[in-house]
Amino acid sequence: MNEYRFEDIIEGTNAEFQVAVSEEMLEDFQRLSGDTNPMHTDREYAREKGMDDRICYGMLTASFYSRLVGMYLPGKFCILQEISVAFHKPVYINDILKVSGKVIKKNELFKRLEIDAKIINTNGERVSKARIKVGCLE
Amino acid sequence: MNIKETLEKIFRDVFEDEDIILTESTTAEDIEDWDSLTHIQLIEEIEQEFKIKFTLQEITGLKNVGEFITLVERKLSN
Repeated sequence: MNEYRFEDIIEGTNAEFQVAVSEEMLEDFQRLSGDTNPMHTDREYAREKGMDDRICYGMLTASFYSRLVGMYLPGKFCILQEISVAFHKPVYINDILKVSGKVIKKNELFKRLEIDAKIINTNGERVSKARIKVGCLE
Repeated sequence: MNIKETLEKIFRDVFEDEDIILTESTTAEDIEDWDSLTHIQLIEEIEQEFKIKFTLQEITGLKNVGEFITLVERKLSN
């Protein structure tokens, strides 16, 4: 876990990590969220609706933005305050995702960071993007 | 649009409430959702709109919207 303090960060500071989406993650997220929509649970239904397979929950992939700020940028001293996410393309089981973020603004008054973040799949396609605002506790 | 009208527009955007009417005596007590995060959002939006920067000292002493308007006027005249 990174331990960036507010003063350690400049506009442009960035971080990234990779994560593979597994079937177990979908099952865990289904239990956690109670979302049993067939788009995520029924391969045939998802195919009928034009997908290649059942698709990963958007909010599961969005949870990687939580990891981005809580573990990497700024890491330990992060407090997540705001996030807006757009989902551009479907994510499937076994996709390997690159999650990255870059600080685009520092608010000295409130020790707050604005981060542009995105998730790219193995084909180089942007599957989602996010604008995240976090406070720095130190 | 004068400062009060601009502030009113910002307040309506931040609190997502088109019914907000600001007066000089309006305080955080008068707006139900005015909490620490919306306060930060307000300050950020006001700084961006008027292209000014507040100090912590300036914003911690504010008692009501009237003092907010006075502060913005002072910053704009500097």
